[in-house]
Amino acid sequence: MAPAPEVQLIQDAETRLLRAWTPAILRAVLVAAVTVVTVGLVESTFGSPGYFVTRFHELQRGIQLRQPKDFGTLVGDALLGNGRSIMTLGLMLLTLVPIVRVTFTLLVFLFEKDYPYVAMTAYVLAALILGAALGRIG
Amino acid sequence: MVTILGGLLLLSVGAGFVGSISGLGGGVFIVPTLVVVSHLPIQVAIAASLISVVATSAGASVAFVRDGWTNLRVAMVLECATVTGAITGAYLTGVVPPRVLELLFAAIMLQSAYFSLRKPGDDILPRSDPLAERLNLSGDLPGDGIQPVIPYGVVNVPGGAALMLVAGLMSGLLGIGSGALKVMAMDYVMHLPLKVSSATSNFMIGVTAGAGALVFLFRGDVSTVIAGPVALGVTAGALAGSRVLPYANVRALRIVFVAIMILIAIEMGWRAMSGL
Repeated sequence: MAPAPEVQLIQDAETRLLRAWTPAILRAVLVAAVTVVTVGLVESTFGSPGYFVTRFHELQRGIQLRQPKDFGTLVGDALLGNGRSIMTLGLMLLTLVPIVRVTFTLLVFLFEKDYPYVAMTAYVLAALILGAALGRIG
Repeated sequence: MVTILGGLLLLSVGAGFVGSISGLGGGVFIVPTLVVVSHLPIQVAIAASLISVVATSAGASVAFVRDGWTNLRVAMVLECATVTGAITGAYLTGVVPPRVLELLFAAIMLQSAYFSLRKPGDDILPRSDPLAERLNLSGDLPGDGIQPVIPYGVVNVPGGAALMLVAGLMSGLLGIGSGALKVMAMDYVMHLPLKVSSATSNFMIGVTAGAGALVFLFRGDVSTVIAGPVALGVTAGALAGSRVLPYANVRALRIVFVAIMILIAIEMGWRAMSGL
């Protein structure tokens, strides 16, 4: 059975909103992240070239990763111009792309009171956040 | 230093380029490249690859969403299944022995090779089944002024979602987008038109890979030294690939890709078996 005309109208409005804004959101976060990673890479290339080689060979030998810095220390180091911290922040920004996109979709569905889709989008968003939390615990 | 960094960037650009032209995404090429050529442990390669897959998905999705090829509702429904699989997979990567991962990777490469050679299911259904109708999943193929807008239906959402769970699991476990599995689920099981399946798969890959990447990143398993250059290289390669794609003879290139994939499957399979 086809949805009632008023339901159809709401869903068309949702689709239009999502189609207009999703590409802009994707592009904006992507460009910002790539810029930050590039700055970090350039800085660490010229700032501490020795570290790069040492770390690469350590990884090849299977030496496990070092203790991750907490977020505050990471931002502090990045502001002091530490290339690796800047690069890590850029990679974090990159993983924000799906979170920002799904949050926007959730807001559109909430705004249009399309509750089945609110539930599904909320589940995806919760799973993304849980993923980060699981990583922290595990 | 210059050799290592230059080499990493070059390999990543190459993987992104081939991934984009073949439509399989950078992940399936960058993971074996990092393992076989750069001699890095598979877990390091998987973590770096997942982050680069998020970037390429976002880059490639912009035009598809804008032009109306991506079915955003189908993506949202199926993402419930893929994120669940992806988080489980990413969590398991820390536990599963590397040779099992290598063996699984070999199997996925063979599936991708088969995917590249198969005939697409090009039937367009005029109507959706009752569940898809209730979720309002039907869509329209965008017209171009000359070609009219063509409506299409969607069927078998549970079947598609079940395959998506597997695709998500493989994505988190192996650091790939699982585009080949996703497209097959939508094209064959749910009977979406091929181009809609590809565009929607590409869009969903960002969330699937993002879910896995977040687990790795917050566990501290992402090596910035590798993931940074790989993310930049794969993104640049994918961008170049999408520019070249309209002029490439994809039919002829397909044979080359299939040969590469079978070679990778043999290499990864051999590594796994010889380590047993």
